This record gives sequence, C-alpha cells and structure tokens, in this order.
Amino acid sequence: MKLRMTCVQIVGLKTHLMPVVHVLHQLGCVQIDDIAEAGDVSARPLHLDPETVRTQEELGYLVARIEGLLSTLDAGRIEPGAPIADQAAGERAISDCVAEARAGLDTLGPVVQSLASRREALEAEQASLPRYEAVLRKLLPIVPPSARDAANISIGVLVSRGHLGVLDAIAERVLNLTGGRAEIAAEDVDATMRAMLIVIPREFSGEVEALLGREDISRLRLPAGFADQPPDAAVAALSRRIAAIPLELSQIKTELASLAEKWAPRLARWRASLRDCLEEFAILSRLGETDQTFVLVGWTPERDVPGVRRALRDEVGPAVVMQTLSLAPADRSARAPVALANPGPARPFQSLVRVFALPRYEGIDPTLLMALCLPLFFGMILGDIGYGALLFLLCLALLRRFRQPGALRDLVQILMMGSAWAVVFGFLYGEAFGTLGEQLGLHPIWIDRTSADQVAGLLLFTVAVGAAHVTLGLVLGVWEAFRERSRHLLLERGGMLVGLIGLFLIVSVAVKWLPDGFMTPGAVVLIVGIALLGSSLGWLGLLMGPIEFIGLVGNILSYLRIAAIGLASVYLARVANELAGSLGNIVVGVIVAVLIHALNLALGAFSPTIHSLRLHYVEFFRKFYEGGGRPFEPFGRKT
Amino acid sequence: MDATGLIAVGAGLAVGLAAIGTGLAQGRIGSAGVGAVAEKREMLGLVILLIAIPETMVILGFAVAAMVLLLGGGLGG
Repeated sequence: MKLRMTCVQIVGLKTHLMPVVHVLHQLGCVQIDDIAEAGDVSARPLHLDPETVRTQEELGYLVARIEGLLSTLDAGRIEPGAPIADQAAGERAISDCVAEARAGLDTLGPVVQSLASRREALEAEQASLPRYEAVLRKLLPIVPPSARDAANISIGVLVSRGHLGVLDAIAERVLNLTGGRAEIAAEDVDATMRAMLIVIPREFSGEVEALLGREDISRLRLPAGFADQPPDAAVAALSRRIAAIPLELSQIKTELASLAEKWAPRLARWRASLRDCLEEFAILSRLGETDQTFVLVGWTPERDVPGVRRALRDEVGPAVVMQTLSLAPADRSARAPVALANPGPARPFQSLVRVFALPRYEGIDPTLLMALCLPLFFGMILGDIGYGALLFLLCLALLRRFRQPGALRDLVQILMMGSAWAVVFGFLYGEAFGTLGEQLGLHPIWIDRTSADQVAGLLLFTVAVGAAHVTLGLVLGVWEAFRERSRHLLLERGGMLVGLIGLFLIVSVAVKWLPDGFMTPGAVVLIVGIALLGSSLGWLGLLMGPIEFIGLVGNILSYLRIAAIGLASVYLARVANELAGSLGNIVVGVIVAVLIHALNLALGAFSPTIHSLRLHYVEFFRKFYEGGGRPFEPFGRKT
Repeated sequence: MDATGLIAVGAGLAVGLAAIGTGLAQGRIGSAGVGAVAEKREMLGLVILLIAIPETMVILGFAVAAMVLLLGGGLGG
C-alpha cells in the first residue's frame, strides 16, 4: 500500500519565510519540490540575499569546527540532547544558537587545540627518540674520553654500508683540517648503516661542518635539548625523556576526556541544531518568489495536510496561505513521490521491494503479496521442524540485538516468518533434522520427501504453485494494463494469460482431470493466446510470440527449485544422520552430525531466501510490476 | 549396461551439464558483481540476486532429469 499524496502550495510574505521553513522542518512530512520543475507556478527562483549567504557560510564553518573538536575529543558519536532550535522558532533561535556555539568554540577551541598539538608533538617524540637512543648506545663504547671535555664538540655521521669508503676519506680530511687534533671512532648501527663519531676542538666546528655539508654527508642531529651534551649524557637524557612521555600522554588523555565529558553533549547539541539550521537554509534554493512573497510547492501525505495547515496557522499566523493543487492525473502520476505504508508484519518486505525498484505512484505495490508468498516459499523449501525452530530462535535472539530499524532487522524478521512456515511444512513433510524425526517417531502428514514414490507429487505440487503464482502476476498485469489504457501491454499480458489457460486445459485433459472433449478448445485457446502475444510484438511476433510463451512456461517450471533445493537439504540432513550412525563412535558421530547439520542450517537460511526472492523478482514481478517511483523524501529532521 | 543404468547416466548428464553451464554463467556474473560491490556497497543484494538468476538452467536440467527418472522408471531400480 502507498500513501495518498497531496500537492500543496504555500505562499506568504518574505518576512515569514524562515518561520515557515522552520515549521516545515520540525514537522518533517513535506517534500519540497524545486520551483523550476513546478511548471504551473508563476514565480521566479528565490534569490538569496548576501546576509543569508553569509549566515549559511558561517553555519557551515561552525559545524565543521564542532566536528573537528568532537573528533579530537573522540566523541563524534555522542547523542545530542534536544536541539536548541526547539526552544523557539524563527531567526532569534538561530542567532542565539550561533552566538552560543561561537562563544563556546572560542573558549574550548584553543584549549583543545593546544592539548592536541602537545599530544602530536609527544607522539612524534615517542616515535623518534628511541631511534636516536639506539644509535647513541651503539656509539657509547667507542666514545673517546676527550668527548667529555667542554673544549671539544662531538659530531655524529651516518653512512650507508654500501659507501664505507666515504668514511675513511672524511676521516682523513678532518684529520688534515684539524692538524691531527681530531679523534674519530666508527661503529655499525644496524645491517645497513654505519655511524662515525668525530670529536674536534670547538674552534674547528665551522670548518668541519662546512666540509660535511660540501660532501653531502648526513649528520646525526639530536633533537634540541640533547644536541649540546656529550654522548653519554645525551643517552641518559634521552632515556629519561622516553620514560616520561607515556605519563605526559596519559595526562593529556585525561584532560581531553575530562573536557569531552563536560563539552561533548553541548557540542553535539550545537551540531544538531546548526545542522538543522543549515538544512533550512539549503532548502531555500528550491523555493520561488515574487516581489513581496515567497512560494513553496511540495508534497505531503493526504492524512498530514490538516496537521501542516494547523501548524502553520498556529506557529506563523494566518498570513501564510496553504492550498492544495489539483493536478491532471498524468502530471500527478509523474510527479507525486511514493511512500510505502504497509501494515506491521508486511513492513519488513518494503526493503525487499525497494531493492528491486520503488513502485510508481499509480502502480501496484507488491509488498503485501510478497509478505504472503515469500515466507511460504521459504517454508516449502526448508520444511523441517528442527531447522525451522532453530532458525526461529536464532532470529529472536538477533531481533533483541538489532533493535534499530533497518535492512538487517527487516531481513531477520522476514527470516523469522519463513522459519515459522518451515516448522509448519516440517510437520507436513514429517521432517526434523532431516530423517532424524522419522527415527524418533515423526510421520509425514502430507508428502514424504525422502520417498522416491512421492517425489513426483512434490514436483507437480511446486509446478502448480508456480502456475498459480505466475497466473496471479498475469492477472495483476492485465489489470494494470487496463488501468493504464495500454493496448500493447494488454495484448502481451492478456495473450500470455489466455495462452496459459489453454495450456492448463490441455494438461488437464492429458492427466485425465477433464474429458477429452476439452482438448480442442484448449488448443484453440492456446493458439489464440500465442497469437495475441505475438501481435503485441509487431511483425516479429510470428516468431517471438511462441518463444515468449515458451519462456513463460520456463518461468513456471522455475518453481521446481522449491522442490529441488528442498530435496538437496533433506538429503544432506540424511547424510549427516546416516554418516553419524555408521562411524561406530558415538562422540565422533555426534560431532560429525552437528557439523553437517550446522552447514545445512546455514545453507537452509541462505538458499531458500535467495531463491524465494528470485522467484518473486524474476518470475512474478515481471508479469505486472513496473518500478521507477520517486521516493518520498520529506524535508526535515531525520528521526 | 542395462536400461536403468543408461537412464541414470542420462539423468546425471542432464543435471551435470546444466550445472556446468550455470557455473560458467555464475562465475562471470560473480566476478563482475564483486567489482560492482567494491565500488558501491549497497549493490550487494542485487548482485546476490543476479548471481542466482542462471540457476534456472540447472533447475530445468533437474526437471529433465526428474522426468527421465520418473517416466523411465529409473527411481525404482
């Protein structure tokens, strides 16, 4: 079922524009169309004044800042309280909210920024200092005593082990430069690098630095605070610093957590309120205007029209006029958005219909039919008391876990309905964990799927189900074609339906359900049906008509999968039971049986769902269903 | 080989060859489908469905096998 939609036009003075938009945003039940696409309204697109644009930009900037702060405080998902904009309608609430948010951000921003910068610096130190420490520790055993002399300085040099010759050349040139007053030691740092320590009198530091610069030798530069110390003192200082960093990081984390506790709810509330305001500004580009008034055209469910009218009158005043527009049926059908509204148990199936395509506004909504048939097909395929009951319990547990509405919850609910039908068919087939039920005294009420004698009956039953389902689809298709006054669709679907009736007559005669006298009328009806079907396809119909009809028969035979997949499941269960019994060890037997039954259960949840869906989408829907509806996306808070 | 054996082989070929055809089609649809899902996560439902579509072939193979067995008396031995 779909909600009936009403096209509404709201007109008011420009001074009432933002209050009206705010009320509609709060109501959340009006979809606002772009005025440029509403051809029957004489208004130009609304021009936003510079002040509005500036406010919009500021709101965007504030939201971005808030999101940045929430991310730094690691509180991006916190639930907001009631948005501030709820406190009062209109521009005053917006300006109050903006002022409060701006003041709060100016207070909090620098504090959080400083803590975040400090944390970043500490994390960088934490990553780099251990590397310096490791290199210096390697060098410590070879540090000459002169390195501790205040008159000398130490210079570290790192060279790849592939260029060790460079070290000798540098050492020789440094000795020449200082007249032999330098002391030089080298040590491998790791598998790829070798370090060299040069100790020279301070007066030669400039010349040696220049030499190393010219030769493009990479220096071992310690961070500020460690560079001017002798190597052993630097190592000790580095160790102390490395030990102190985690404590400082932990203090910063505590401070940020404390700030988050105090500020995050407020930030989340501002974010929600400002986002609401932003949405209200963003929708303005869809509106129209005359010199003094604004014009808004949109859609709302018929049942909500009085509520919208009342809210506008109460919140904004009688100066704002709302009227319903009556459109031509074709225009209405093309423009009206579609909102599915089915009763509770059928609601989860709306997700499955949407996956295929949203129905057109005037088209048939197949959700109810799907809710009726899909779980039934699932039950027919699985048909096992044990598997059905286990799946049902599993779905109950999952429903407790997935409390939020969504596709996953819908799927679990659908699976639960299917598993209930599986229990029912389990009694009809006499199956509980395959043949285990039979061994415990369970007997089939209707068909024994494990008996070779009864397989034919099962196959015929599934073909009959297919024939009924496809015929129902064709009847709906003919009705749809009749409503749309589409001669082409009427011939195509009507031809299929007539041909199918002819085929049913012939088959009934063949299996002796009808007297032989029905054979000729059946053949005539079949030929007439194929001729009608062919005539819908133009001159190619002579060839394509019979091919299309064979395709239709293929669609019906496709329902054999209900039996085929069910049989595969039964035989896998039988294998589990018989293999367990033949192993000779009860523990191993039980383990093997449980594993195979678990696999069968997983397949039993997945495969029947997919195939029942496929039977609907491919075999059933294609006989009558035409999607392409425009989803109803009301302007307002997403709750 | 007696007639029952030939019936069983025929039924096996009907399902087996149809299953090979289905497998080839599903392989191609599956690889394209995984690419589509990698680009757009919400395509998953549609892709699973598309993968299931060629299974009609094996179902028809099953129908032929069932007819061969039932009409030929291969089930009773």
